[in-house]
Amino acid sequence: MAKIVIENLKYKYPGMNKLALNDISFTIEPGEFIGIIGRNESGKSSLCQAIAGLIPNFYKGAYGGRVFIDNMEVKKVAVEDLCETVGIVFQNPFNQVTGSKLTVYEEISFGLENMGIPREDMIKRIDDAMELLDISKYRDRYPFDLSGGQMQRMAIASIIAMKPEVILLDEPTSQLDPQGREEVFQAVQKLSKQGITIIMVEHNMEKIAAYSDRVVLLDDGKLIDIDIPQKIFSRDDLGEYGVEAPVYTQICRKLGIKNKSGYYPIALEETKNLLNSISKSMGKVIDQKGEM
Amino acid sequence: MYIITAIIVPVLLGKRWAGIGFIILSIILLLSGKVLKKTLPLLGVSSFVLLTVLIIQGLFWSGNTTPLFNIGPAVFYKEGLNFAFGILVNVINILLSFCVLILTTKPSDMIENFVRKGFSPRFGYVFISVFQIIPQMTETMSTITDAQRSRGMETEGKLWVRIKAFIPLISPVIMSSLINTKERALALEVRGFNSKKKRTFLNEQVKTGADIYIQIALLLCIIAALIWRIIIWLK
Repeated sequence: MAKIVIENLKYKYPGMNKLALNDISFTIEPGEFIGIIGRNESGKSSLCQAIAGLIPNFYKGAYGGRVFIDNMEVKKVAVEDLCETVGIVFQNPFNQVTGSKLTVYEEISFGLENMGIPREDMIKRIDDAMELLDISKYRDRYPFDLSGGQMQRMAIASIIAMKPEVILLDEPTSQLDPQGREEVFQAVQKLSKQGITIIMVEHNMEKIAAYSDRVVLLDDGKLIDIDIPQKIFSRDDLGEYGVEAPVYTQICRKLGIKNKSGYYPIALEETKNLLNSISKSMGKVIDQKGEM
Repeated sequence: MYIITAIIVPVLLGKRWAGIGFIILSIILLLSGKVLKKTLPLLGVSSFVLLTVLIIQGLFWSGNTTPLFNIGPAVFYKEGLNFAFGILVNVINILLSFCVLILTTKPSDMIENFVRKGFSPRFGYVFISVFQIIPQMTETMSTITDAQRSRGMETEGKLWVRIKAFIPLISPVIMSSLINTKERALALEVRGFNSKKKRTFLNEQVKTGADIYIQIALLLCIIAALIWRIIIWLK
């Protein structure tokens, strides 16, 4: 499996004065689910594109540092070869439809045809990908006629079918309705369970908190922190980076409730358990008071 | 292949009946494909042009000598009409034979076959995507028209009003399609569009015996016409 190593990555878009990515270094272990958060323009998408090799192979501009995927330096590998290891899904599902295929089934085959996968293998891969994303029932539909959520799942399926080891998702749900968002998250979680490394940019902190193994916090092109979500969302300076913690964390912060390891809880279940145990102990106190 | 034969053979034979023969053949093929109706608008538009050709040539062709009939003061000549009729047959022949190809074959199948034969996949992509992305752009256009209208812009009425409305309508369309194009280019890129590996195809190539026979027959037609032409030449 692919291990991603980023060393002192710096990047400046052509025609800009500011660094979009400023001296970023970290390592991602195989199979991890990484969430990337930060305010707008903080470099989240640029980081994704740098890992996928689109920076510097597609975009020009000043580039420094190195990104390795499985000892392969992305700068030196063409995007069309790299895409067999790293898949990327973009924000707008609409623009990811190739526009050269008439059915969902054929649409998913696009990348495989380019890769030169033999036909029998191709059919199997497409069926598997459609099954995984639960879009088998739309296989003969016209791609542009799908809803946003379905289209985005098709876009993910067409990447999955290429069997990359790493999948980058750049705000895949930002243009979807709540149901579409849920559909995509379910699908991504399934992929994560299969051991694929997932790197996801997302504005919904509850989801990031619930699914991520580690969270990358970016601001102004710099890496502020990379750690487990509890630790990230328990930071006191979160507001300075334009990030709002999950509601559960916010509530517990106001109430001053921390879990055993000293962080605020981030998910519903943990919060519930903590509050329960507190109310129980409170109950005891009240009981004792009553006896007195 | 059929197009080439349908166009070359009458040209080589230089006889009008060959052209008419191919028109009839095209119509039969279109009928059997149940798409003859779709050719009607096409023929309607071109018939207007052809009619003008017929009138102009009938009236003014340089070789006109034998008056055939006259409508009011206009005199139609036999030679001119004859010449115009020749053009007519050729044009209709070309139109119909193209219709046979375009209306009976899915564009994607057609291009896929071209790509299989060694046509550049990039051009293939451009041709196919045009069929799908243009309708999307039309849709964007109508959304933008509605949006601008809801802001109080007049888009209907006199010519001048329409011309004034044109720029605020068309510029967002162009801008958004440029942005979309960039994103689509990225999406294609990450799906290995530029890959130098040998491509494979999801759809199997169906090549029946009939296909080959038809191709051979058409090829023979061309060769026969060619030989006939050469013989006439040599005489």
